[in-house]
Amino acid sequence: MPTLSLLIFLPLLATAIILALPSRFKDVYKYIALAITAVQLVLAGMAYFSFNPTSTGINTLAGYQLVEQLPWIRLDLGTIGKLEIDYLLGVDGISMPLLVLSTFVMLMAIGASWNMKKSLKGYFALLMLLNMAVIGIFCALDFFLFYLFYEVMLLPLYFLIGIWGGERREYAAMKFFIYTLFGSVFMLLVIVGLYFSVINPLTGAHTFSMIHMMNPDNYVAGSIFALDGYQEIFGISARLIGFIVLFFAFAIKVPIVPLHTWLPDAHVEAPTPVSIILAGILLKIGGYGIIRVCFSIFPDAAAQSNWWLGLIGVISILYGAFNALAQKDLKRLIAYSSVSHMGFVLLGLASFTAEGISGAMFQMISHGFLSAALFFLVGVIYDRVHDRYIPHFRGLATIMPKYTAYVAIAFFASLGLPGFSAFIAEAFVIIGTFNSASLGTGLPRWMAIAGSVGILMSAAYLLWTLQRMFFGQTRLKGGDSWNTALVDLTGREQLILFPTLALALILGICPFIVFDQMNASVINLVAFIQQYN
Amino acid sequence: MSAFASSISSILDHIISSIPLFKPELTLMIAFVCSIICSLFVDKIWKFSSFIITITGLLISLYFLLGQHQLFIGQSGFFEMIKIDQLSILSRIIISISTLCITFFIQQRFSNQIRPIGDLYAVLITATLGLHLLTLSSNWLLIFIAIETVSISSYVMVGYFSKTKFEAEAAMKYVLFGSICAAVMLYGLSLIYGFTGNLNFDSSQHIQGLIEAPKIMCSMAFLFLLTGIGFKLSFAPFHVWSPDVYQGAPTPITAYLSTVPKIGALVLLSRLLASWTDSPFYYSEFLTTITIIIAIATMLIGNLAALKQKDMKRMMAYSSIGHTGILLMVALVYVQHDIDVLLFYLTIYALMNIAVFLFIDQLEQGIGSTKIESYAGLGKKHPLLFVCFSILLISLIGLPPTAGFIGKLLVFSKVFEQYQVVNEVSLLVLLIVGALTSVISLFYYFKIPLQAFLRENQTVVDLPKFNIFLISIAVSISIIVVILGIYPSLLLNFLK
Repeated sequence: MPTLSLLIFLPLLATAIILALPSRFKDVYKYIALAITAVQLVLAGMAYFSFNPTSTGINTLAGYQLVEQLPWIRLDLGTIGKLEIDYLLGVDGISMPLLVLSTFVMLMAIGASWNMKKSLKGYFALLMLLNMAVIGIFCALDFFLFYLFYEVMLLPLYFLIGIWGGERREYAAMKFFIYTLFGSVFMLLVIVGLYFSVINPLTGAHTFSMIHMMNPDNYVAGSIFALDGYQEIFGISARLIGFIVLFFAFAIKVPIVPLHTWLPDAHVEAPTPVSIILAGILLKIGGYGIIRVCFSIFPDAAAQSNWWLGLIGVISILYGAFNALAQKDLKRLIAYSSVSHMGFVLLGLASFTAEGISGAMFQMISHGFLSAALFFLVGVIYDRVHDRYIPHFRGLATIMPKYTAYVAIAFFASLGLPGFSAFIAEAFVIIGTFNSASLGTGLPRWMAIAGSVGILMSAAYLLWTLQRMFFGQTRLKGGDSWNTALVDLTGREQLILFPTLALALILGICPFIVFDQMNASVINLVAFIQQYN
Repeated sequence: MSAFASSISSILDHIISSIPLFKPELTLMIAFVCSIICSLFVDKIWKFSSFIITITGLLISLYFLLGQHQLFIGQSGFFEMIKIDQLSILSRIIISISTLCITFFIQQRFSNQIRPIGDLYAVLITATLGLHLLTLSSNWLLIFIAIETVSISSYVMVGYFSKTKFEAEAAMKYVLFGSICAAVMLYGLSLIYGFTGNLNFDSSQHIQGLIEAPKIMCSMAFLFLLTGIGFKLSFAPFHVWSPDVYQGAPTPITAYLSTVPKIGALVLLSRLLASWTDSPFYYSEFLTTITIIIAIATMLIGNLAALKQKDMKRMMAYSSIGHTGILLMVALVYVQHDIDVLLFYLTIYALMNIAVFLFIDQLEQGIGSTKIESYAGLGKKHPLLFVCFSILLISLIGLPPTAGFIGKLLVFSKVFEQYQVVNEVSLLVLLIVGALTSVISLFYYFKIPLQAFLRENQTVVDLPKFNIFLISIAVSISIIVVILGIYPSLLLNFLK
């Protein structure tokens, strides 16, 4: 059974069905979307638990599982040689957990859009299109295919933010689109460069396969990205330039400071389900891209520049946290906390130690559903009173006890309380960074310390928010009308929140559920980069 | 006299033997004459006669063209005046098919006009004939005649329906600008003829003459020459006419002007660059550098100026200037004689532009405006139309999964390959500007989906009545654009 193709194209089927059904069935759309996404989650879950944890992934196709390979575009381009683009899918320990996460978060997003009223047909069709693109990105092993899904992802998001968003939605949608496209057009140039530098050893044709790009033997001598290191662009090593361009393309998605400014705008203006997807999946595409593309294809340049990556990570952690402290809009606060938490991913990756990279991966998973839960929780009060300014609420605990409990658990989980997943993730990142100095991979110890300060800061802004909004005498800006509007969590909302937070706890106690599956790949990645250090 | 008399029979033999090569063009000439006669006499009885003649003429010419594929590759006729090769056949096929689309467009759109439009078909055929000649020849004399044939036909088309002062102004500007450019080009040609004593630009005598010519004068002559081609292709700094003319001309004519003549002119420029920039002499370097500079300037000017436009047709004018920059990139890399990239981009470009103008025209008919703002909120009323419209615009930006993306990818690949060979930094700059302008173009192309889907409609607009036939052409083109984006081989294998 072609599991990955099914995972990718099931949502497309949903889009087709939704578009084909006439508008009078508009109440059915959400059930179609829900059913398809649930099937996806089951499929992905089955794949996850039948996944062979010993496969090494990363740089050999044999290390991938569920591989599907079909010749897709074959062109004889005369002097350029043969163009070889494959429909090449596969998962390893890096992409498998993220794949499950994506389907899970997507299901949450469908749950969060249950009460959506505005043009349902377009909404669910676009949501399913986005679903397809996202799953495609995590499965594609051919750079062309990857790029295709990467760009296709932008279009539904533009419309989802632009049509269903808040007041400044046009601005936010455009800003998001421009930022990502800016990164990706230059990525295209690097892809073209890689294409000319790499040949498939079996056929002798130039290829877009990422796996071939990772093998130094496949580079044509004298080509622009050849490993001999003589090629220069504007006086800088061409491979370094290629790495930097790709890094920035993905770092915009992560996002790193100072390229993060699209994120608060996009989050604030996006409707709740789209915020969930943005925080839960899209930011992870940045981290995933850095591992799969930047580190694996340009390991030499990565080893050369990891000090800077670590620095950017530390700056993002601290800058995001300081900004979060200053926010009055709850959604903006969570958005900045995302910037801060994703900084850990970068710091962990830059450490090039098994602990650090595992921690970074774990942080992506953990942040994936925790931030989704947080945005969902913001959506809960926004749905009720259309306001989410922290000073406008006080003492919510007395009128919404269940909600307060969930918020408190989610906050404690994300600030890294031991027992929850974020703690494991952040601890591993810090340990990895600390060990980096001893292993000689190049990150100084003060970065680990700065990272710990970031954890402290996240405790500060989250607990302070908890105190300001939920405790004390009930005082609401909207007075009595708000008091009646702010009813406690409904069954549907609890149904979404409970599994999410339970997952945070389960993974916090049994982190091996994730670590086991990705360990072989992580160790392989570390060894792969290590040889250039 | 007797010497001439002895050779006259061989000359006649040559001419007669060349005629089969010229069948598609002869058909067009016959169709032209028939079309005029029909529009004068038969149209009163049966108003479709000249239209049918035009369509038939184009189809027969297309039939002959397809036949040329096996028979005449590599042959030349009329004393080296015309040359049949793969490029000329395929580009003429693209020209003919695009013209067919435009003919239907014109027929559907103007059939209710009080003024008879029979003459317009005849003019359209002449323009097509001129473009055919442009792709066939490497002889300056024939090229100049061809360019003038196309230009004069275009002047007539732009001014044909002019009712308002604005439209008349557009036509007048076009004529004045065009004739001056033609005159300058002719002067350049005379200089080149003076240097070389030969009119065939890929002959060795021509190249030899250029090598020996004084550098400054030769460079001047090149610049003059580029003026004429630049006018047809509307690259910077000879682009200033196009926004006014595009906006002023009726939309079907704009659709024609923005696509088909550019195909012919680009084929000519590609041939010219290929035969002149191959050699290691200074003029080759000069020409390459000038083309790169022009391409960069054209992309930047076109895309940046398009940002400010509020009128859809005017915006498309600047957008097509921007695309001309990409087309120049294509022409630059044609040096290696890979016709498929060149033709793929041209085909896609023609398809996209024709379909976009079909939509613009239908919307103009429905809501009476080409202002982008007037599309506000229409996306919800006409989802199919605006989804297809958006797909075309996405393709114009060059985003996957559309054919526009494949086109850009192929062009960038070619330029990159060239860069690897010659290691010229300017080519890299060209690539970076190309990538950057794609991002810039997102801003203005996305104004349409933004208005249509994101904005609410303030005033109640009557539901426009669309011409189902034209809309379905445009919709099918959008579908083709997506299919070619996923399976580019379908077209590329044909263009081999």
